Amino acid sequence: MLHQLLTKIINTGIGGTRRWLASIGLFVAVLLILLATQLQVNYNNLLYGSSNRDSIANFLVINKVVDGNKMDNSLTSKEINQLRQQPFVQAVGELTNSRFKVSAQSPSNQVPFYTDLFFESVPNQFIDVQNKGWTWKQGDVTIPMIVPNQFLDLYNFGFAPSQNLAQLSQDMVMALPVVINVQHPGGLQTFTGRVVGFSDRISSVLVPENFLDWANKQFGTRQQANTSRVVIRTADAGDPALAVYLKNNGLKTDAEKTRFSKYRLIVDVVVKASASTGVVLLLFALLVFSLFVQLTIAATSADIQLLVSLGTSPTQLQRFLMQKFMPANLIICAVCLVTVWLVQFAAQQFLINQQLLISPMLSLYTVAAALAIILVLWLVTRATVRKYIFSVAG
Amino acid sequence: MNIQINGLVPLPLQDKLSNRPSDIWLTQTTFTSGNKIKIKAASGTGKTTLVHMLYKLRHDYVGEILINGRLLPTIKNNQLAALRQQSLSIVFQDMRLFDQLTALENIELKRVLAQPVLYQSKVIGQMAEQLGILHILNQKAGNCSYGERQRIAIIRALMQPFKWLIMDEPFSHLDHLNIDKAASLIATECAKRAAGLIITDLEHDAHFDYTQQYQL
Repeated sequence: MLHQLLTKIINTGIGGTRRWLASIGLFVAVLLILLATQLQVNYNNLLYGSSNRDSIANFLVINKVVDGNKMDNSLTSKEINQLRQQPFVQAVGELTNSRFKVSAQSPSNQVPFYTDLFFESVPNQFIDVQNKGWTWKQGDVTIPMIVPNQFLDLYNFGFAPSQNLAQLSQDMVMALPVVINVQHPGGLQTFTGRVVGFSDRISSVLVPENFLDWANKQFGTRQQANTSRVVIRTADAGDPALAVYLKNNGLKTDAEKTRFSKYRLIVDVVVKASASTGVVLLLFALLVFSLFVQLTIAATSADIQLLVSLGTSPTQLQRFLMQKFMPANLIICAVCLVTVWLVQFAAQQFLINQQLLISPMLSLYTVAAALAIILVLWLVTRATVRKYIFSVAG
Repeated sequence: MNIQINGLVPLPLQDKLSNRPSDIWLTQTTFTSGNKIKIKAASGTGKTTLVHMLYKLRHDYVGEILINGRLLPTIKNNQLAALRQQSLSIVFQDMRLFDQLTALENIELKRVLAQPVLYQSKVIGQMAEQLGILHILNQKAGNCSYGERQRIAIIRALMQPFKWLIMDEPFSHLDHLNIDKAASLIATECAKRAAGLIITDLEHDAHFDYTQQYQL
């Protein structure tokens, strides 16, 4: 009842346009900040997340520069340990070579082919293809393989047209079994090879680590060989310290991958700019809002004075005015959250086609940012209301 | 709850009032709880000023006002509101109604201001009937006549608990019959609360059974 009467008394003094302008300003500011937060979270997820399609970003295959002056370009365990200790290196995976002779051939006479081959393996966490078929246990005759995407490209766009052969899709290659022959001192052992995935990260023919360990023990003709290449995971492929380290130690990596750091820099700037714009806008919106509150109180100061002289307490008035201003703020923040969620959902749908996985839901950081904004709005509104009520009330 | 004044005089009237005898200004006076006080004064001698000073609407005076032994200027904000909700009720000379509200809403506002409420809503109707303004309860206060506004202001003042009812020329626009009705209602309500009243007026009157009468 008191609330209704106060609404009747205090509403009469306030202009609608100003209120709308203040609300729109606040909406834009909150939306910008929340979008920037969500963007930053998505971006971090894409960069550092462990989803299976964040393929090339932070994994670098590193090997010695081959300049023809040395016979052996393998990495010593000392060199690998040293690499492991660098601050920009999060993990190091050694590529293990096959130490036996392998060849592959077609099982059918209609598409005859034969090639000598090699295998390498690397711990699973460094592989950008996760597939149910990527397992092997002792006794299995089928060996899953991961081949580089470039192999298929070389075949489809170089070899096949020149030999008048049909081009092959990834699915077709994955459906074709291959006969794998392993030569060893005791004779010849035959396996069936099946391609289960294509990697952008590692230019090699990969087989499961446990198969290669077993096969090297079983068929190996040489002693444990030095590692010739390693895969490293880094937080920042564009870290200048990384580039300097590689150069000083005669190491190299795929330059293509470090180019990503330039795009990242641009995205970083864009995200930070939109966040800063959001913060500046929020400050302006808060200013406009607090002016709006002041104006409301000033426009009805005679009524507020009378209310106070009739015995309305400043606390009652403060509570009433907070109830008057805060719901609009809450609605604005809620609408902004829903808008950002819709944008996020649309972005997720769009990016899934680009092989980029982000969550369709809002991040906790975004929700936390919204809550923080509500808290700031509450504090600013409360401070303004208190200041002006007490000044009017005398 | 006693009201005490010590050497009180409003600053703007200081020179004018210093050379003139008065029962109130520049004296030590105590209004004892439950008493009915009449303060008579000619125009321009500071009746409204005194009422506003007692109600802490004005601070431009020398001397002291103490309510229950406490200096009035030390009572602030929420404490002052509590005092006005529970202990001091007032009928202003200029009524001070919200013109945009109806007569009923003006009274309701006061009724619901202090929690828990003293009276149910129907009491408003009973009092309005008693004072002959039942028919205008749903009119905007801004559209009511002066006499009607005075009666709205009186009923509004009676909606709350109080120890003192302060009235500044509350009957100036009422005829004798209506004054009698209003005074009777006020006396009943004061008796219910064992409250005192302070009334200012231009002339001598016998509306209440006064305990003390002062010349301002």
